[in-house]
Amino acid sequence: MIKVTIKCFSQVKYALNQNELVLELKNGFRSSDLEKTIRIKAKGQLDNISLRIAINQQYITKNTELKDGDEVAFIPPVQGG
Amino acid sequence: MIITPKELNQQKKDLLIVDIRPSKQRNQIPLNGLNSISCESGEVINIQEKKVLVCQYGIVTEGLIIENDLPNTFSLLGGAESWNEFKKEQKDFSQWSRQTVLPEIGIEGQKKILNANVSIVGMGGLGCPAAQSLLIAGIGSLHLIDNDTISLSNLHRQPLFNPEDIDHKKVIVAKKKLSRMNPKANIKITDTLLDEKNAHALLSGSDVIIDATDNIKSRQLIDRISKELNIPMIYGGLYRFEGQVSVFNVNGSPGYAELFPDAPYGGDSCADAGVLGVLPGIIGNIQALEALKLIIGIEPTLIGKILIYDGMDHTAKTIHL
Repeated sequence: MIKVTIKCFSQVKYALNQNELVLELKNGFRSSDLEKTIRIKAKGQLDNISLRIAINQQYITKNTELKDGDEVAFIPPVQGG
Repeated sequence: MIITPKELNQQKKDLLIVDIRPSKQRNQIPLNGLNSISCESGEVINIQEKKVLVCQYGIVTEGLIIENDLPNTFSLLGGAESWNEFKKEQKDFSQWSRQTVLPEIGIEGQKKILNANVSIVGMGGLGCPAAQSLLIAGIGSLHLIDNDTISLSNLHRQPLFNPEDIDHKKVIVAKKKLSRMNPKANIKITDTLLDEKNAHALLSGSDVIIDATDNIKSRQLIDRISKELNIPMIYGGLYRFEGQVSVFNVNGSPGYAELFPDAPYGGDSCADAGVLGVLPGIIGNIQALEALKLIIGIEPTLIGKILIYDGMDHTAKTIHL
């Protein structure tokens, strides 16, 4: 098992009602798996929202295997101005 | 009391000029075309005549006058540095003396600011504070682009507008208010919605583009034009108590399309999600700060990074793109 910290921003924070959560995941868990997990936890509140992912403060564009101790941030677009 | 280099130039015959700088500084940067006496700061209090005190940047002399409650005494705003620049170019930089004193900026940085041309797309929550801060920092030319009118619900976060401005055009009112803050600035307004047809022409010639819009479509358009014209784009976005800022498209650095590729969706506007009125002031000012850093040429900046600021717990996260 691996342990990752999830940083929640904007809509993700409000959908999960927390700034940060720590999850224990199976070895080999990938960023796309974690995104699915987060969307399920949000109970539909993120269904119409794009999410971009950063691992350890580095934005990723490819589906990446997570490692123990990773910090994962989900970044939705914000429109307000 | 303060006297600017321009005022001193007009009144110098009637005033005793007292240079309180150490001899090394006086020798290195003598006062150009100004007859002065030198005096240590401790002895100045004994001079009863109407006088102007000069130090390097105008800060020591202001403090000296206040601390000793000196009568008939002026502090030269911007000090010896501003005076010499005034004599050299007949330009008075003393208004910006508190920022030219910063070694990262100096008179040369201020000249870059005064010569810069910044376009702001959107005169809402982000555009108002960004325009104000850029203008008072000395930006020479501002181009404000927006076709919206002022409504009551704008007032809590758009400090350029007052109740009597409701139903008036944002760019027209903004120009009127901003012109009072810096009458020398060239403020151009375009009462038009930025679109595919006009964006290239409207943004061409800018040194920096501030994205102060409120929708993804406009951000994508500005990003594309920013890339085509090779003009940096300062992105800002808001959601409730949070804001995002990044500097896009500087010599091929990532832009909005790289941050949110594949037609991003979602993300409510301020009208839908709500926004605390103070937040756009913070984020719009960070956009202005990044614009000034780019113009002056100082680092580090938010190129290749996105800053996510949370106004609730005051955390700021920087993600590398």
